Amino acid sequence: MGTWFRRSTWVFHLNSGSCNGCDIEVLNMFAPTQDVERLGVKLVGSPLHADVIVFTGPVTFQALPYVIEALKAVPNPKAVVACGSCACGGGIWHDSYNVVGGINALYEILDALGIPRPPTVYVPGCPPKPEAMMYGVLLARGMVGQRQRREVYVEEVKEVEAPQDVREVVAKAVKAFRGGEA
Amino acid sequence: MRRASGSEVLGRVVETLKRLGAESVTVTQEGVVLSTVTKDRLRDFVRALIREYGESLRHSTCMGTDLRPVRGSFSVTHVLALDGLRLYLLVETEAFGNRPKVPSLTPLLPAANWAEREARDLLGIEFEGHPEPVKLILPDPWPEGVFPLRKDYPYNKKLYETPAQVRGVRGEPRFFSAKPSPPSESVREGCALIPVGPYHPALHEPEYYELYVEGERIVEARYRGFFVHRGMEKLAESRMTINQVPFLAERICGICGYTHACAYCQAVEAAARIEVPERALYIRSILLEIERLHSHILWFGVAFHMLGFDTGFMAMWRIREEVMRVAEALTGNRKTYGMNLVGGVRRDIDEGKASLVLRMLESVEGEFRRFCDSVLSMREVVERVKEVGVLTREDARRLGAVGPHARASGLGIDVRVDHPYAAYRFVDVNVAVRDSCDVLARILVRYDEVIESVRLIRELLKNMPKGELMAEYGDLPPLRVGLGATEAPRGEDIHLVITGRGNKLYRWRPRAPSYVNLATVPTMLEGERLANAPIIIASIDPCFSCTDHVVVVDLRTGVRRRMNLLRNALTRG
Repeated sequence: MGTWFRRSTWVFHLNSGSCNGCDIEVLNMFAPTQDVERLGVKLVGSPLHADVIVFTGPVTFQALPYVIEALKAVPNPKAVVACGSCACGGGIWHDSYNVVGGINALYEILDALGIPRPPTVYVPGCPPKPEAMMYGVLLARGMVGQRQRREVYVEEVKEVEAPQDVREVVAKAVKAFRGGEA
Repeated sequence: MRRASGSEVLGRVVETLKRLGAESVTVTQEGVVLSTVTKDRLRDFVRALIREYGESLRHSTCMGTDLRPVRGSFSVTHVLALDGLRLYLLVETEAFGNRPKVPSLTPLLPAANWAEREARDLLGIEFEGHPEPVKLILPDPWPEGVFPLRKDYPYNKKLYETPAQVRGVRGEPRFFSAKPSPPSESVREGCALIPVGPYHPALHEPEYYELYVEGERIVEARYRGFFVHRGMEKLAESRMTINQVPFLAERICGICGYTHACAYCQAVEAAARIEVPERALYIRSILLEIERLHSHILWFGVAFHMLGFDTGFMAMWRIREEVMRVAEALTGNRKTYGMNLVGGVRRDIDEGKASLVLRMLESVEGEFRRFCDSVLSMREVVERVKEVGVLTREDARRLGAVGPHARASGLGIDVRVDHPYAAYRFVDVNVAVRDSCDVLARILVRYDEVIESVRLIRELLKNMPKGELMAEYGDLPPLRVGLGATEAPRGEDIHLVITGRGNKLYRWRPRAPSYVNLATVPTMLEGERLANAPIIIASIDPCFSCTDHVVVVDLRTGVRRRMNLLRNALTRG
C-alpha cells in the first residue's frame, strides 16, 4: 500500500448489493464520532473524483457490470477498501445463485477481462465497526501500518465414516464433555 | 375490550369463509385463518371476500411454493390482512404440471402484482390474466425457463460459473440493460430525461430511475430495482437449518434487521407451537424498541440532510451514536444483533446492562427533544415540509400504506396493537397518529414514536419478569404453516414459513414494509416540484435492501394520468 494519498483521500462508496449494515457504518465514519473529514478523508459522489473505493456487498449479478464500470472509472493510482464480510469473501451469500461472491471473485472476473486489480485492504466484520473502517481507509492511505500478517492456513481433512446415528454421537460427546454424567 | 370478542369474530369469519366456498378452513395459529380453494373458484372466492369486507381487506403478500416433492403440485398462498378484525387470512390454491397456471388476483387486488410476478420469476407459476407478465427480479441475462426457487434447482448454481463467461464478444464485460420499459405515450416530445443511478450521489443503494421532467415537474418516472437480490430464500431452504436462518434474516437489512429476525422466529414458533418464555419476549421487545430508536433517529438525520440542513444530520447521528453503543453493550454488535433463536433469545439483560440502557435513554431523550424542538420551532424548516407530499387518508387506505407513513395520514394501524407480539401484549402502546397527511406529519409521528419508544423501553425494563431465556423444544413438525408479523420501524413486516423435515425450512417468504409504502409515492408527488421529490421519497423511509427480494406492491395503483412517477415500475426486468 502506497503513500499516494497522504494529503487527502477522497472516498467513493460503492454498494454492490449490500444489506445497508456496512453502508450506514460507512456514513457513520463521516458523522461526528469519528469524523474522518478532519483527516482529509472526504466522501464524494462520483468515482471519477475518488482515490479510494469503499466497497460493500457481495456483488450481485445485476450490479456486476456497473460495479466493474465504477471501478474502472476511478483514476490511477487507486485503492480499494473492502468493508464487511460480504465484500471480503461473499459472506453468508458466498455460494448463492445470484451472487458473484465478494471482491476476490470479482477480481477473477477483472483478470478475465484484462483489467488490473487495484491494491486492496480487507476490513472483515458484519458490519465492521466504523473505527475498523477508518483504520482500513488510513491503511490504504499509508498513515497507519498493517498490524496483521497474511497467513494461509489449510487443514488436511481426513475422510471419516459418517456416523450411523448422529444423536448417539452427540450424546456421547456431551457426556464426555461433562465428565461422565449424562 | 376488543380481545373479549376475539373468538366470536373468529367464528364468524370462519363461517363466512365456508359460506363463500372455501374447501377447508383451519385456524393455524392465533389470528391466522388458512382456507384452501380450488383454482377455478379462487377469483370468485376473493371477489366475494372483497364484497364482504370491503376496503378493510388488504392484500399483504403472496407466496408460491414448489410442493412437488410432497404432493406433486405447486401452491400459491395469498396473505390478506383484515386489520379491523385483527386477522390474517391465508388463501391457498394448488396447481399442477411443469408450467402450472393459476388465475391472477392482480385485476381484483392490484397490490398482488409484484408478488405474483416474483412467483412467476422464481418458480415458473403462470398467473392467468396478469396485466404485465414480465420478468421482475432476476438479472437480465438469466435464462428463460430456469427457476431458482424450484426444488430441483441447486442453490449454488451460479449464473456465470467461470469468470470468463462474463466476457462478451469484444472482450468487454457483458452489459445488461438497466433500462426500464420505454416511456408511455403520454410523455410528450420536449420532456427531458434525467437518468439516476445505479450509482448516484442521491442514492445510497444501487437502484436505477429514469425521470422524465417537463420544466421543473416530473411527468413520468421509471424504475429498475433488484440490484440487491441475493437469493436468500433459496439459501434458507437448502443450506440452512431453522436456527441458522435468524442470522440470515437479520441480514435482509442492516438497519432494521432485528425485526426480521423476530418476525421469522415468531413464524417458526407459531408453526411449531413453541411457547417462548416471558423474559425472552420482553428482551425482544426492548431490542426492537432500541432498533426503532436508532432507525428513527437515523431517518431524522437523513431527512434533515435532504432538506439541505446538514447540521441536523450531524447532530442526529451524534445522538444516535449513544443508542448504537448501548446496542453493542447489550448484544455484542452495533448492528445485526444476533440475539434471536427460535424459542427465545441468546443473551440476558442484567441489572448492569439495564442501568446502561436507562442512562442512555435519559441523555438521548433529553438531547433529541432539545434539538428537535428547536428545529421544529424554526419557520424555515416547518414551512419547507408543511403541505408537501400530501397523502390523504383515503389514498393511504386504498394504497395499503403501513407504519409511520400510514399513521401520518390518520390511519391508526400498528402491528404492535393490532396483532400483538413479543411483550407488546403486556404493555400498552400509544399509537402516534397525525392527520395533516404531509411530510411535517411524518416528522411529527416519528418524533412521537421516538419519545414513545423511550417510554416503552423504560416500562419494559421495569416490568421484565425473571425466568428462562429459551424454550425447550424437540424436532420441528414438518409441513406446518406459520406467520410472523412485526411492526418494523418502517411498518408491517410479514414472514411466512412452511416447516420441512430434519429441522429445516421447506419455504420461507419474508416481506418488508418499504414497497407497500413506495406505492404511495406517485400520489404524493402529484403537483409537486422536482426539488421536493427527494424529501417526499425520503419521507416514507424507503429501504431497498429489504425490499429487493421481498416485494409486494404494484406502483400502478397510485397512478393518475398526469403524474406517473414510478409508474410501470419494473415493467421490463
